[in-house]
Amino acid sequence: MNTLITCTVNGEERTALADTRDTLLELLRDRLGLTGAKEGCGNGNCGTCTVLIDGAAVCSCLMLAQEAPGHDILTIEGLAKADTLHPIQQAIVESGGTQCGFCTPGIVLSAKALLDANALPTDAEIRHAIAGNLCRCTGYGKIVEAIHSAATTLAGR
Amino acid sequence: MQDFVYERPQTMAQAVALLRRGDARVLAGGTDLIAQMREGRRSVGCIVDIKRIGELTGILPLPEGGVAIGAAVTAATVSRSSPIAANFPAVARAARLIGGVQVQNRASLGGNICNAAPSADAVPALVCHAAEARIAGPTGTRQLPLETLFIGPGKTTIERGELLVSIVLPPPSARSAVAYLRFTPRREMDIAIAGAGTYLRLDQGGVIAEARVTLASVGPTPMRAPLAEQRLVGERPTRALLAEVGRCAARDARPISDTRGSADYRRSLIAVLTMRALGDCCGQLGMDLEASSK
Amino acid sequence: MAPKPSSAYQIVGKRLPRVDAKERVTGQALYPADLTIPGMVHAKLLRSPHAHARIRSIDVARAQALKGVLAVVTAADFPELPVGATIPMGETGYDMWMIAAVNLARGKVHWVGQPVAGVAAVDVHVAEAALALIEVDYEPLPAVLDIAAAMDPVAPVLHEHVFTKGVEPRPRAPSNVGSRTVIARGNVARALEGAAARQRIRVEVDTAHQGYLEPQAVVAQVDANGFATVWASTQAQFTAELMIARMLGMAQSRLKVVPLEIGGGFGGKIAIHGEAVAVRLAQKCGRPVKLTLTREEVLQGGSGPPAGALIDVAVAADDGGRLVAIEGTYCMDAGGLPGLSPSLLMQASAALYQTPNLHLQGYDVVTNKPRTEAYRGPGGIQAAFAMEQAMDALCQRLDLDPLEFRKRNAAVTGSTMPIGTPFPSIGLTTILQCVGEHPCWTDPLTQGRLPRGRGLALGYWRGTSMTSAGHITITGDGRPMVTMGAIDLSGTRTTMAQVVAEEFGVPISDIHISTGDTKSVGYSDGAAGSRVARTMTAALIEASRDALAQLAGRAAEKLQCRAEDLSYARGVFRSRQIGGPAISLAELMQATLTDGAVVGRGVSTKLPLGVEIGAHVCDVEVDTATGQVTVLRYTAFQDVGLALNPAAVEGQIEGSVVQGLGWALTEGFDYGPDGRLRNASLLDYRMPTALDVPKIECVIVETPVPNVPYGVRGVGEVPIVPPAACVANAIARATGVRLTRMPMTPERVLSALEALARP
Repeated sequence: MNTLITCTVNGEERTALADTRDTLLELLRDRLGLTGAKEGCGNGNCGTCTVLIDGAAVCSCLMLAQEAPGHDILTIEGLAKADTLHPIQQAIVESGGTQCGFCTPGIVLSAKALLDANALPTDAEIRHAIAGNLCRCTGYGKIVEAIHSAATTLAGR
Repeated sequence: MQDFVYERPQTMAQAVALLRRGDARVLAGGTDLIAQMREGRRSVGCIVDIKRIGELTGILPLPEGGVAIGAAVTAATVSRSSPIAANFPAVARAARLIGGVQVQNRASLGGNICNAAPSADAVPALVCHAAEARIAGPTGTRQLPLETLFIGPGKTTIERGELLVSIVLPPPSARSAVAYLRFTPRREMDIAIAGAGTYLRLDQGGVIAEARVTLASVGPTPMRAPLAEQRLVGERPTRALLAEVGRCAARDARPISDTRGSADYRRSLIAVLTMRALGDCCGQLGMDLEASSK
Repeated sequence: MAPKPSSAYQIVGKRLPRVDAKERVTGQALYPADLTIPGMVHAKLLRSPHAHARIRSIDVARAQALKGVLAVVTAADFPELPVGATIPMGETGYDMWMIAAVNLARGKVHWVGQPVAGVAAVDVHVAEAALALIEVDYEPLPAVLDIAAAMDPVAPVLHEHVFTKGVEPRPRAPSNVGSRTVIARGNVARALEGAAARQRIRVEVDTAHQGYLEPQAVVAQVDANGFATVWASTQAQFTAELMIARMLGMAQSRLKVVPLEIGGGFGGKIAIHGEAVAVRLAQKCGRPVKLTLTREEVLQGGSGPPAGALIDVAVAADDGGRLVAIEGTYCMDAGGLPGLSPSLLMQASAALYQTPNLHLQGYDVVTNKPRTEAYRGPGGIQAAFAMEQAMDALCQRLDLDPLEFRKRNAAVTGSTMPIGTPFPSIGLTTILQCVGEHPCWTDPLTQGRLPRGRGLALGYWRGTSMTSAGHITITGDGRPMVTMGAIDLSGTRTTMAQVVAEEFGVPISDIHISTGDTKSVGYSDGAAGSRVARTMTAALIEASRDALAQLAGRAAEKLQCRAEDLSYARGVFRSRQIGGPAISLAELMQATLTDGAVVGRGVSTKLPLGVEIGAHVCDVEVDTATGQVTVLRYTAFQDVGLALNPAAVEGQIEGSVVQGLGWALTEGFDYGPDGRLRNASLLDYRMPTALDVPKIECVIVETPVPNVPYGVRGVGEVPIVPPAACVANAIARATGVRLTRMPMTPERVLSALEALARP
């Protein structure tokens, strides 16, 4: 069955024809062309599909598209302003915190949710905030370092 | 995935009416339900999204000092709620164990209960606090002890046309403490191989007047450990006593072997976790176990 | 070229950000699953529910008839390939009979999850519904699920054509042992018997998974002329092209493979998994076809995991702590199809020690589990888990410091390698020296509430060289535009842009670099075997010099002097005469644009090897009541020859170590008695999260390889080799217990502790 869904994504009101069974991830990727969120497991166990719903990090694979109306959804495509990267993105570029890149959009958004709530997190708080985002390439060290560095940049503003 | 109808009722009455359909399922956080539907483990014809119903989404302090947590309140909200942190810290901590941050932001307390997994992390701490479940149905509401809700893996006594409304936590007694510990190979993002919740209430002389021990992942449902509880009452906590109670709890456990752990391992873990959770309670109560063990 | 230290270079050796990092952090990097083509339809694969069964028949009529289904294929839609039809890849090549069976079973299924049919439909839901309508008549056969059972002479035989190779006389009956490999010198039996101290250890390693976060995905399109384009997530586009062409019986010239971004490979994306099926479906239905595996498919038989192993090692030393013998038997689980060569892993496990007596034998064993494939230093982890524990236990027996023991027995440049030839330049002695002086070794172990221990383990991996090609076209504004045959798995675009920038003496931002598809760049072997950085460096230096020579010719003409009278530096040709004229690359190309393209070409074949060596040290804490092991501190020392980009090198080492720790402690496949994987999810297949590992500290040592540009060694594989052994040695030092089963899950640790406590 098909259904029309209207929701706010990256500040824009978007309407799409979706399958009633679509998850939010499928709505974003297949109907709205926002492929920055990935499907690594489809079961909420890897975090590659992370998006922010009203500022909170969630797995978009575990949410129905039909639940989206009324919420403010931020995907990785909505984070950088024109040519200017968000400080978290910039820090990950500089620290070498991205390798294959498949986990990166999710990690950036989890980090954003963390820093929005906790401006100068400890190492343990950072690791807790990204524990739902598996990374198989970096061993996490350079990601943690990048989030610390972004926190410092943001706090200095 | 099989196709379904999606409903988003605004009132309890509408929700209860929708749930009379035999193939209807409640959707709150969806972190269990959507995964189960995708894997074909659950066939659902009608999804009833309860997140727009006011009574289900708030944490309500009760006049006599307890609190009612709406069934659709997320684990993240529970873990950050100040009335819960103040009076039921073990519940707040348990909510922080469900999945990772992304799952905690969606998963509801009611879902963790109604999914009726023997490993549900929120349940032992709630049972130790003598939580009750408020259930709405076509003929009104009923309230029952939470621990009586579970009848098997994935099965509860909630019937067709009924809906879990809230979890009611009575005010904690003086000189009491609750702790919940679980064991997982990974620090987070994992399912308890075994878990133990403990509750102790001391009398004015420091003797255990009341005790509850609730075990996770070692039976078809979250379960109380009667041998362990009996051994505690009337005693003063010592290291030796806690270790012995741990062994009693291991005897109470009814574990199976599966990919997450063998029955024997689960029993060993129950002994350790029960002992450590009781030690945590004693710590909260300001008892020095080293001194009392001498 | 005589290797120089990294300080001698302007851009090579510098810690620069990845040139392709921005598209990664903004979500723009394009992986095959992100690609949508007009008219595209969706494919699904039907997979075997049995671990071992004969396929009596497959009836696709009902599936074909379902509304929305566009095509159905089975093995009958592909030519039947004979056993041993090899295509080139590395030393052994690939057996196309095996690859074909991995992609679609013919006649028999050999593991749960082996594909038996493919469907293309208008959407995924219809494709899924169609799978349920395909009727496969199976005759279930008894399954063999572990190495020991498979080697039992009375075990059911999986393949009637498998007669153990390497055994004389040739066996008369087929068996589950594909081959036996032996490497030997001296007399091990006598040396073991006469030694002052000996130690034997037998380990069992569970099958695990590479754990790349991107499930396999492919989009295939066939144009009106029958030319096929395949957008793939692959480590080796040319190998994929060969495999697809052979499976389809198609000329290679009728097809191209376009490698998109790859979300991790680690060895698991060299072979194809569905690409040829997608092409066949696209041919049949005339629409572009996308096939994306689910995570459950990836884990449950839809991809090639690394091999489980049963390894027996004995080592012996004289009373001066000098090794006199190494003996090893390596039984490797190939999964459902034979052809795993244990030779490299056998050599690797013994390579770092000098010993007069050596006997290593390896077995390629088939079981009813997914056909195994490479994983970062294939087999090295498993073998080191046995060998490095045996060495550590021998040290305990000799009451000798494990670092001192390694120093006494370390292989050095020129000492004999297991295969009998002398070692090329290696820096093991330097590494051991560094370990001895580092705080991770000299700091006393911090004390905690629970027992703690410190472990040391070495790792060796040989890697390979093979062929790399690239070309550099000079743009109209005089900038180098690089097309290379290498997939970027590990920062290759960045390091290779550094190499070309260094050669041209221009800033790295002037370099445009991309990976070519199979019809836009010369044949290159895959991104595997720690070969790309070294060999592509050689190819691109050649291409740079070729382009610069052509440019020098043009510049000479413009400046009206002889080419040999020109000097070149930082993007400018200058006549050597005092006050002579000069012309920049930009000016030169603007002036000569219509003279035709400047294209520099480079190919590297048979470059000397750059063997990889590492030493790891870790501190662990063991909860003796639950068996949980916590890694408190981890330091990895590695000789990289020269670090083209230290940040990229550290990234490889840190990621590798964490993967190694995953298999060491929590990652292992758990098969039920029916051959079905019981933990086919990322919840129960437990890869480390950020909370499960400490910060990994890297110590980079640089001993350049002669006759290799910049003296570069392989980097990416060896750091995964020591972690499991390193942790096991630390556990042994903390608790007195040797863990012989990997992963060393809390349950196994507790059970070993309890066994030790029992009288």
